Amino acid sequence: MNIALLIVTVVACALLLGGGALLVYRLKFGRMPRFSRKTLCIPYAVFLVFFVIVPMLVILVYAFTDREMGFSFGNFVKFFSDPTKLSTIAYSIVIALITTVVCLVIAFPVAYILARSKMKKKSVILMLFVLPMWINFVLRINAIRELFNWMGLLGETNYFNTVFGMVYDFLPFMILPIYTTIMKIDESLYEASRDLGANGITTFTRVTLPLSVPGIMSGVTMVFLPSMTNYVVSDMLGNSMVTIIGKFIYEYFGSDWHMGSMVALVLLIVVFVSTLLTGGFKSEENVRGANL
Amino acid sequence: MKKRILSILAAALLLLPTLTALSGCGAKNADVVLKVYSWAEYIDEGGEGSYQNDIEEFDKKDAHHILDDFEAWYEEAYGESIRVDYATFGTNEDMYNEIVLGNEYDLLCPSDYMIMKLAAEDRIVPYDESFFDETNPNNYYVRNVSPYIKSIFENGTVTTQENGISSTHSWSEYAAGYMWGTTGFVYNPDHVDLEDLEALGWKTFTSEKYTNKITAKDNVRDTYFAALGLTYQDELLALAENKDEHYNETLTEIFNRTAEEYTGDVGDTLLAMKKNIYGFETDTGKQDMVSGKIWLNYAWSGDAVYALNEGEDAEEGEELYLEYFVPEAGSNLWFDGWVLTKGVEERGTKRAAEAFVNYMSMPDSAKRNSYFIGYTSVIAGEENEMLEFLRDDLEYGTEEGEKEDFYDLSWFFGEENGTVGLFADEEQRTRRQLYAQFPPQEVIERCAVMNYFDADTSERINELWTHVKAETLDAWAIAVLCVAVVAIVLFVLYVKFGAKIDFFRKKPKKGYELVERRKA
Repeated sequence: MNIALLIVTVVACALLLGGGALLVYRLKFGRMPRFSRKTLCIPYAVFLVFFVIVPMLVILVYAFTDREMGFSFGNFVKFFSDPTKLSTIAYSIVIALITTVVCLVIAFPVAYILARSKMKKKSVILMLFVLPMWINFVLRINAIRELFNWMGLLGETNYFNTVFGMVYDFLPFMILPIYTTIMKIDESLYEASRDLGANGITTFTRVTLPLSVPGIMSGVTMVFLPSMTNYVVSDMLGNSMVTIIGKFIYEYFGSDWHMGSMVALVLLIVVFVSTLLTGGFKSEENVRGANL
Repeated sequence: MKKRILSILAAALLLLPTLTALSGCGAKNADVVLKVYSWAEYIDEGGEGSYQNDIEEFDKKDAHHILDDFEAWYEEAYGESIRVDYATFGTNEDMYNEIVLGNEYDLLCPSDYMIMKLAAEDRIVPYDESFFDETNPNNYYVRNVSPYIKSIFENGTVTTQENGISSTHSWSEYAAGYMWGTTGFVYNPDHVDLEDLEALGWKTFTSEKYTNKITAKDNVRDTYFAALGLTYQDELLALAENKDEHYNETLTEIFNRTAEEYTGDVGDTLLAMKKNIYGFETDTGKQDMVSGKIWLNYAWSGDAVYALNEGEDAEEGEELYLEYFVPEAGSNLWFDGWVLTKGVEERGTKRAAEAFVNYMSMPDSAKRNSYFIGYTSVIAGEENEMLEFLRDDLEYGTEEGEKEDFYDLSWFFGEENGTVGLFADEEQRTRRQLYAQFPPQEVIERCAVMNYFDADTSERINELWTHVKAETLDAWAIAVLCVAVVAIVLFVLYVKFGAKIDFFRKKPKKGYELVERRKA
């Protein structure tokens, strides 16, 4: 039997049974059952185990085994002794960094102006920035490809094209969180700042900017991480002449799952470190409106 | 083979099997369910532009998907109802991964080298003896397959391991052909001179004349093959000059040079190619040819036909008559074939799978599929029906004509030289669709099949490929980066956890005492 069908069937049956049980309880006792927080967490825990923890363990197992599935550090040694692989990581990080910085430079003023303006229809303008997200991603990149071809850039400036495509693709992910954080800054804080004699620039640097950091951080995470792996952009706009780490993983999984898993694992570590850098693990901080 | 859809689309469609599986269970109850796994866009899907619609002038709605027609035919011929679950893949490797993961399909359509690999790994089973019985009128495959293809399949060998005993078999035991072809260059005659191309051969890839105007394939096997042709072109040409009876053997040896003593040179060639080409592509090459972005596209013959047709069908005044060329030094001969997966007997679908192959081998089905996808079928037809297809349906030539216009295809139809063929104009004979779909015998003779790489070779060649594809920084740059990364990590750890470690904590001044800050 098809495994996918099996999973869908099990989930559907579980939902039906659960719903039925609830209904019976309701009819019998005239009220809904009360669940403790712990009980309510069970579905999420199950989800986490099956779709996050188990796959990661599988990657870990594959990364540290050889073709005969025996334990081996071979891939680890091979990865870190191969200048090409290390260079590819460096290239990916640099491409992602440039993408993030450009996105930030474009997105912050847009978000700031939109959030602070008194325009009645500003949500329409915001929507215009977010609109591209609703159009199929491959279609958009194809359109850019034609545009670059018309401008004579295709095949000439592969790295520029790749970064441009990434910026175009991920810009909304930077604008939205910054916009929502700035929107939520209390008007009275600006008033207080003015009362205390601060001019516009001081207000911006001492009030707006510090308070919008959570939004910036969440935007940075959402742009930096995917732009390290989005090889569709580098393939289409860079004519497959630009290799980033995502492409590496794809190519290795065509032939050697073990090395592919090792690359994926290294990427995971890079992601972990960069999340640490952007403070993504700070739980005490009030990350307001930073998520989409 | 080889019509690759964008990998991203494939990723987006990952969810689809779930949906189809769901809709499938309510759709139709059948006595037999046959699970077929083949290339995307590799079968007559009916509707507008299909063979039935264009040639037989059926209404769009009456031009059926060939699978529907198969289901109806099977029910009539075998007296039991059947449902075909037809899934598609984009690369041989994707298919292989699915099979290794334990997805059960009955019938697969991999390429030459993948068939050998699957057989060597004991993942496919031979066809039944009855499948090769020519007296059975339902055995369309053996009755219609081209004698030329048949001999290739019978002469090709594959070594299998069964219970630790290795034995050698011919391909034909395991595989029934579906489509075949060559690889070569699609070129734009407005910018590329055929004589020049003939002189350069594989060296076109590194010629300064075509800098940024030529593409290679974004997959290791095809581009490695091209690099072999480029590296050993002189040797190959010398070999072609003095052909002997071992010509094809030597040719095949050269195009299968994967040992370590060769990979260094081939690697250098690949790097030189990368410097000169416009890019690596998987399926953008056809459009880029038609739109004029590039002048030369290293392509599979079926894709070449597609590009040629597209160029021709462009809007009035913008027609582009592209042409196809196979290097003189030699090129790749490839084929895709149907194979039965292990366990097909236990599942009770072997007869249906064989019937499917036979149905696809009927001259009519071969015409329909070939017309729809542009690739060349392995089928010749009992009465050489495929010749009529070339002549009357595709209108590549005529039945009568001048003697010098005769295009000999006897080698494919297994007849005496000079007896079977058609009269076509010079363009069709030497560089257009006819040449691409049914190359003349001299072209076929200089083509070689590329064997599968064993695990170690595959690893070595893939390493080489990633080194070619990705950039490598200088050692000092990598050293600087490593130091930077370590420094960043240490800094982050210090900022995060420094305060919790006594060593880093600021010592209080003399006379003061450190008090834990009270939490609000």
